[in-house]
Formats: sequence, C-alpha cells, structure tokens
Amino acid sequence: MNSFSKSVILSAVSILCTLHVAKAEKLGGELDSLEVRPTLVKPQLSLPTKLTEVHVASPGEFFVPPNVADIPNDKYGDMVRMGREIFVNTQISAGRYVGNALNCQSCHLQEGRKPYAMPIWGAFGMYPMFRNKTRSVVTYEQRIQDCFRFSLNGIPPSVDSPEMQALVAYSHWLSRGAPIGVELPGRSLPGLMRTEDPSPQRGEIVYTTRCAMCHGELGLGKKTADGTQYAFPPLWGPDSFNKGAGIFRVRTAAQYIKANMPLGQGFTISDQEALDVAAYIWIQDRPKDPRVGYILDFLLPRTGAP
Amino acid sequence: MPSKPVLFTAAALIAAGVIFGVIFWLTSRANDTTTFALLHTGKTIAENGRDGQPACVQCHGGNGEGNRAMGAPRLAGMPAGYLEKQLHDFARNPLKAGVTLDPIAHDYNKTPKIQVDLTALTPGVRRVDAMNAISATLNAQEVKAVAFYFSSLGYNFTAIPSDPETLARGEDLALRGKPEYGIPACASCHGADGKGYGNHFPPIAGQAPEYIVQQLNQWQTGARDNDQMALMRNIAEQLTDGDKINVAAYFANIAVSSTGGVSSP
Ligand code: HEC
Ligand code: HEC
Repeated sequence: MNSFSKSVILSAVSILCTLHVAKAEKLGGELDSLEVRPTLVKPQLSLPTKLTEVHVASPGEFFVPPNVADIPNDKYGDMVRMGREIFVNTQISAGRYVGNALNCQSCHLQEGRKPYAMPIWGAFGMYPMFRNKTRSVVTYEQRIQDCFRFSLNGIPPSVDSPEMQALVAYSHWLSRGAPIGVELPGRSLPGLMRTEDPSPQRGEIVYTTRCAMCHGELGLGKKTADGTQYAFPPLWGPDSFNKGAGIFRVRTAAQYIKANMPLGQGFTISDQEALDVAAYIWIQDRPKDPRVGYILDFLLPRTGAP
Repeated sequence: MPSKPVLFTAAALIAAGVIFGVIFWLTSRANDTTTFALLHTGKTIAENGRDGQPACVQCHGGNGEGNRAMGAPRLAGMPAGYLEKQLHDFARNPLKAGVTLDPIAHDYNKTPKIQVDLTALTPGVRRVDAMNAISATLNAQEVKAVAFYFSSLGYNFTAIPSDPETLARGEDLALRGKPEYGIPACASCHGADGKGYGNHFPPIAGQAPEYIVQQLNQWQTGARDNDQMALMRNIAEQLTDGDKINVAAYFANIAVSSTGGVSSP
C-alpha cells in the first residue's frame, strides 16, 4: 500500500473519531447551562428518610406469586425450574443468547417478583399486546425476545427453543392466580411526576453519592472475586444493555431507578433526582442499537432523549 | 561491528534495567517489612490489649474465631477495611456524632441539601459498651494494624444445623427477599453463599446465628447505626422476629473456611 492511500485511510478514521467526540460534547453541552437557566440551581429538597417519605409499603396491595418450594414435582415443574434457572442465571444457563453481563434478574428484580420492577406476574396475562416500539401486536415470546436482543444485547432464542419454552413455563407458574388482561397494581413501572428538565450534572452528584458504592465509581459494575460474573451489574460500558433497550430511555430508567434503587431503598430518591441520574447514565457509552449500523450509530441522534 | 551509538544505547538500556530492578527489589522489600510490621503490631495489640483494656483474644478467641457463648463475632478473615470502619465507629462518641451534618460533600452550588434524619447523617456509631471502651484507646495506626492482623487469619466454621422448615424459610428470604415489602434478597449484596463482598458488605456466613439476630435487632433499636446509606437499617426495620431467626439459621448452616493469608495492607 502506498503512503498516499495510508494517509487517506488515516485521515478518514480521524475525521470519524472527531465526529463521534464532537457529538458527545454537544450532548453534554446542550444540558450544561447552569448559568443561563437559573431555575436549575433552585434549592432542592430531598429527604431520603422515612420522616418525609410518603410511600408506604402496602404489601397487601400486590399480587403474591407462589413459593419456589411449591413448584410441582412433575415434568411441568421441571420446566418451571429450568425457566427459573435461566431467569436467575442467564449468563450460565442461556449464555449463548446473551451478549453482555446481565441476567434477567438484574432488572426484573428478585426472580421477577418485585412489584414496580417489571414483575413477570404483571406481564404474563397482558400479552399479546400492541407495542408502540414495533407498531405491531407482539406475543409474550416476542416480548422476551426483545429483552434478549436489547436488554441483554444478544441474539434472541427462537420461539420454539427449549430456553424460550422454559421461560414461558416459569412465567406461567409465577402468574398462577393472577387475572388475565388486568393491569395489576405494581405492574411494570410506577409513574413519574412532571419535573424540570433532567440535568446530567446533578445526576452525577446523585450517582457518586448514592449509586457508586455498589455500581462502581465508573459505573462499570463490580465483579465477583473469581471475576467471572458481576456482583453488581454495570450501568454502562460494553457489558451493559444496548441503546435499543427499554431502560435506555431516560424516562423508563428514571421510573425504574425511582422505584428500585438504591437497592432496598425504593421510592427514597425524588423524581427529579431519578431523572437526573438517568440522564447521567444516558450520556455514557454503551453497545450500539442492533437495529442500526455502526456508521448510523454515531451519525443519528440518540433515541430515548429525556 | 555495531556502530558506537548502538553500543551506547544498549549499555544505557542495560544500566537502566539494573537500576530499576534494584529499586523494585528495594520497594518490594519495604512492602514486605510494612506488612510484617503491621502484622506484628496487630498481633501484639490483639493478644495484650492496651491501657489495661482486655485483649481482643479474650473474647474473640485466640485465632479470632469468635465465641458463640459470649456473643463475640468471628473476626478472622473479615475484610480489613470493614473491621477498621467498625473500630472507628465504636470509638466515636455517640453523643457528639449526632450533630455532625452531611458527611458527604454535596455540591449543590451552595444551596445546602437539607436533611433531617440524623441517623442518615452520622458518620456512624455502634453502641456496645465493652467495644466502645476498648476502641477509644486505639489510634488510627493501631486500628489499621489490628484490623489487618485479623483479616489475615484463617478460620474454619462448621455449619450449625437447624430444622428444615426454618432453613427453607431462611433460604427464601436470603435468595428472594420480600418483594412486596421492598426488601431485597440478602444474596444480592452479601453473595449467594453469604461470603460478603468488599469492605462494605461483610460476610454473614460463618457468624453465629445469635450474633446475626442481635445485629438486626440493634439496627432496629438504633444501637447500631453505621451502615452505608442506611441500607441495612431500612431492611432490618421491616424484618419480623421470625424472619431474623430463619435467615440467621440459614446463613449459620453454611460451612465456610479459609486458610488465611495477607493481601496488601
Ligand atoms: C437491562 C434490563 C433488563 C434485562 C436484563 C431484562 N429486561 Fe425484560 N424488561 C426491561 C424493561 C425496561 C422492560 C419494559 C418495561 C416497560 O416498558 O414498561 C422489560 C419488559 C419485559 C417484559 C414485559 C413486561 C411488561 O410488563 O410488559 C418481559 C416479559 C421481560 N421483560 C422479560 C425478560 C426476560 C425473560 C429477560 C431475560 C432474558 C429480561 N426481560 C431481561 C428490562 C430488562
Ligand atoms: C446496595 C447496592 C446498590 C445501590 C446503592 C444501587 N444499586 Fe443498582 N443494582 C444493585 C444490584 C445488586 C442490582 C442487580 C439486581 C440483582 O441482580 O438482583 C442493581 C441493578 C440496577 C439496574 C439494572 C441493571 C443494570 O445493570 O442496568 C440499574 C439501572 C441500577 N441498578 C441503577 C442504580 C442507580 C441509578 C443507583 C443509584 C440511585 C443504584 N442502582 C444504586 C445494587 C445497587
């Protein structure tokens, strides 16, 4: 190769790099306006304590899924057990479909049981359902495929694969006694109040004070001692969900964080703080949306904007 | 015959290599000696105590294995950072600690973040009379040494049996928490086998069940008040007495052991 073509390639690469950097800066810049938007520095009351907290855990309100010890000892039960194993330990039991370091349980907390963390018992009876994301009616299996493709940044198992059948069996068992087609309390995610525009600057403060202890200063999660899995899952970086995931949308992430994070302290951060920290997570780097190519990935504006 | 500059460069490279090697050797030796000195100081304090206070080994056992009858927890193999924090918290005067505002530097551009719950703001206190008195006599260096010493010890904890019903309920709480109450699974922070994670999430397996129940109770009463972001307090407050017994039995039913060894201080 002569030096001319080399230099052409080099300059092309560097132009592409600057494009990418410029875009990242612009995104930060848009929201960086403490001086021009005095409203942002309004004193903010955040009381992460029970003294002002209005959220009351009213356990009786929520559907209670059956106990794991009650999984029947027959072939159906075996399939349910396999489904649970995949759900809890996706990395190992369905590793070939997964492209990052998350398990289903990383988001659908406590084996898909936790209300306001997209519980499985709240979802199973609602499908088939029309979804705006695909503008079509999707079945339950297709919904799970979406989570594999985007949230787990992987390759969806086919509808008739044993993994998918096991997951459906597990969901079926977990939803025993739940009505079909009824929006149960605690289904999906809680609503958010209307707030100011989210600010990643304030989000960074929330992140370092309330999240970094578990998810790491850099948001890349923390690995277990043997280094094979994550004890605390990454919020961004190559091992996290991709830009097509539902939780990549700032609003969805904020709803999720408000109800569930810091772990065990759901509903203790304000709606504003949840949105701020979600915006901070949103501006970080993560795997690209599998629906767009590498070039479009940094040429197109980001989806899921606050 | 290679030219002069080449020879010169080669000689310089070799000389640099030798110099770096010597420096590396010296520093690693220095590291060894600090480790040794720390272990030695730690051991002396652990076995003799200070200022007439009882020695650590009197209650926590000669190898830090703990004493179930006395209610003294295992210290051997606990993360050094965790032990260090506990000793500092024991030493802190609970009365003075209550008024400290905002331990975390919130930078809300001079608009202070107003928080009212004092327990969320204290740098952490733990009220155990014997330990309060002992920790007050140690300085920061000694705390570090003694924590490092105990973290380097090995231990062998044999499982404490319980009835299957209790264990099954304990396991349910440990692996799944109580979703409808917002209580997360113990396993998500302390690890599925209760071995703990890092300096903030201590091992639960390998402690006597009575000790675990006692700690959960102390969080409820506020006698122990030194957890990060009040994570454990929030959880303990929602546990019933039965939950505590079940989950403690579950973790005490896991046998854990380690041969010990030093990590870097
Ligand atoms: C990165 C986080 C994440 C992971 C990992 C994840 N999901 Fe999801 N899941 C979501 C989000 C976000 C939604 C959408 C909630 C909404 O739009 O209301 C969702 C929705 C769902 C739904 C529909 C829920 C409803 O209420 O309509 C199902 C079913 C589901 N996921 C199954 C799975 C399965 C099975 C796995 C593992 C293979 C998985 N998810 C992994 C984040 C995740
Ligand atoms: C006590 C530790 C802890 C704290 C503090 C904490 N998290 Fe998490 N977080 C977890 C754990 C553990 C999981 C995975 C749940 C599981 O595997 O059971 C998780 C999962 C998540 C997820 C979904 C999984 C993923 O990787 O995307 C998001 C998003 C998240 N946390 C955001 C936050 C934010 C934002 C904060 C700060 C407000 C926060 N967390 C504070 C422990 C914590």
